[in-house]
Amino acid sequence: MDQPIVQIRELSKVYRHGDIEVVALNSVSLDIGRGEFVALMGPSGSGKSTLLHIIAGIDRPTAGRCVVEGTEVGDLSETELAAWRKQHVGFVFQTFNLIPVLTAFENVELPLLLTGLSARERRDHVEAALELVGVADRMKHLPRQLSGGQEQRVAIARALVTDPTLLVADEPTGNLDAHSAADVLVLLQTLNRAAGKTVIMVTHDPKAAAYARRMVHLEKGELLNEK
Amino acid sequence: MTIPGFIFRNALRNKRRLTLTVLSVALSLFLFTVLQTALREMSQPQLSEQSALRLIVRHKVSLANVLPSKYQSRIARVPGVKRVSRLTWFGGIYIDGGNFFAQFACDADALFDILTEVTTNPDQVAAFKKEKTACMVGIKTMNRFGWKIGQKITLRGTIYPADLELTIRGVYSGGIDETNLFFHHEYLDEATGWHVVGCYWIQTANADAIPDVIRRVDAMFSSSSAETKTETERAFQLTFLSWFGNIKLLIGSICTVIVFTMMLVTASTMSMAIRERTREIAVLKALGYNGRQIFGLILAESFGLALAGGLIGCVGTRFLAQNVDMYVLSHGFFVRFEVTPHIVAAGLLIAAAMGVVSCLAPAIASVRASVLDGLRELD
Repeated sequence: MDQPIVQIRELSKVYRHGDIEVVALNSVSLDIGRGEFVALMGPSGSGKSTLLHIIAGIDRPTAGRCVVEGTEVGDLSETELAAWRKQHVGFVFQTFNLIPVLTAFENVELPLLLTGLSARERRDHVEAALELVGVADRMKHLPRQLSGGQEQRVAIARALVTDPTLLVADEPTGNLDAHSAADVLVLLQTLNRAAGKTVIMVTHDPKAAAYARRMVHLEKGELLNEK
Repeated sequence: MTIPGFIFRNALRNKRRLTLTVLSVALSLFLFTVLQTALREMSQPQLSEQSALRLIVRHKVSLANVLPSKYQSRIARVPGVKRVSRLTWFGGIYIDGGNFFAQFACDADALFDILTEVTTNPDQVAAFKKEKTACMVGIKTMNRFGWKIGQKITLRGTIYPADLELTIRGVYSGGIDETNLFFHHEYLDEATGWHVVGCYWIQTANADAIPDVIRRVDAMFSSSSAETKTETERAFQLTFLSWFGNIKLLIGSICTVIVFTMMLVTASTMSMAIRERTREIAVLKALGYNGRQIFGLILAESFGLALAGGLIGCVGTRFLAQNVDMYVLSHGFFVRFEVTPHIVAAGLLIAAAMGVVSCLAPAIASVRASVLDGLRELD
């Protein structure tokens, strides 16, 4: 593997609820290379989502290091983290999380409003992203006018539009029927293979994980075997 | 889409709540503007240029005490006095107590020589002077009651034990108050048999003579049973207005309660609106929006909402004042009802402050909440 894009060393995360401590991650070490499609698998409570959240910079480790593209994510302030996420991370959520009052086009444009791009440049980027995920003909539709599969495609377009270093997906097919789920997974696979996007996906579904190039299993906060 | 466009869309997402909140703010600012305008009207008497030459002689003790009618000729002889007229508040009721307007008994021959800023018809003034039961009425009161020249009206006495039947012989307009009714003092004297005067209205020869006239008139009656207090028209009006008591404090208190209540309503609305969007705010943060930008979005929405209400309330009141006869609408309570730009600006400033303050707590809470906590709201 070339220089990994994600380097995780002895990473631990402990949640404290009063006197009770819950170990979500226990000394996890992992490298993810550029252009990989990694599935983080495990049962509920295994720590796979926590690991994804730390890699994506929306949670902080209790101990250990998480370096993404040479940046120690845990060392950044909240404001620095926001700027870092804007540049490096594209999120795909289980429940899509599109803004209901905005059209598909406007939802995808949302991350670009923070950039210095002109309206024309933003439009070009948004149209290209929607074209790439196959919902360009739905760009004027509100989320409630789209099917679940289409909503998730729009969400993927929103994640892609800033051309981030990482595409992180947390159970992206959890709310979709089998057909739409397969479509979305094929799309993620295509983005990885054809566009070279680094994709890290959390799933508990082996069928979904099969679309990834690499499967990483976690259980009780510890890394198990890899395939 | 632009950031303002995004804020606008967010604000519009619950149209019923938005409408009700904007209207609540508008109503509160409407009340604020009306009360401030009323306060201004009551505490800042408007005076014409001509009034600078006029003095009022009243009883030294209070306005409720009357002066003897024999003072008139002595005042008229004071150097610097050009004209003098008796001026007595009648305080009668026309049909019922709700039809309030000011009525003064005066010297018909001198009245319009002293009250030079108003416009009259010379023939009507001549007819007024000739007839003891005649009266001259301000145009606003004429319009308010739909009176016509030649019409007879009856004023039921409340202070004086007499009902006066008057014939309208003329109308005046212009000046600072177009609502008054003037009639002959002789008619009041005959009807009551009292021969007393509320005050004397002096027109001085020039402004330089004023201090000397004041000193001489008051000195002249200093040893009498009815000592006088001579003051400028402005000072007299301020004394008259002081009868309202500490109305400024009362109105100020009402305004504060209104504004504070509306701030709570707006804060509650913003809290609800932001709470409903907890996960969306978390998503925005995940997309790269930082705390300052999230705070700005919430602040702008709240500010815009409050300002929209403020504009409707304050500018609406100003528009109303300019296009509706508030004298008629308020049954004679407001004579001028001048919603000044200063009052509108104060209202808008309060609306803006309301918008900022009401969103502070929910906005700060949103900024402090972690992305993860926000995202967990949805699962």
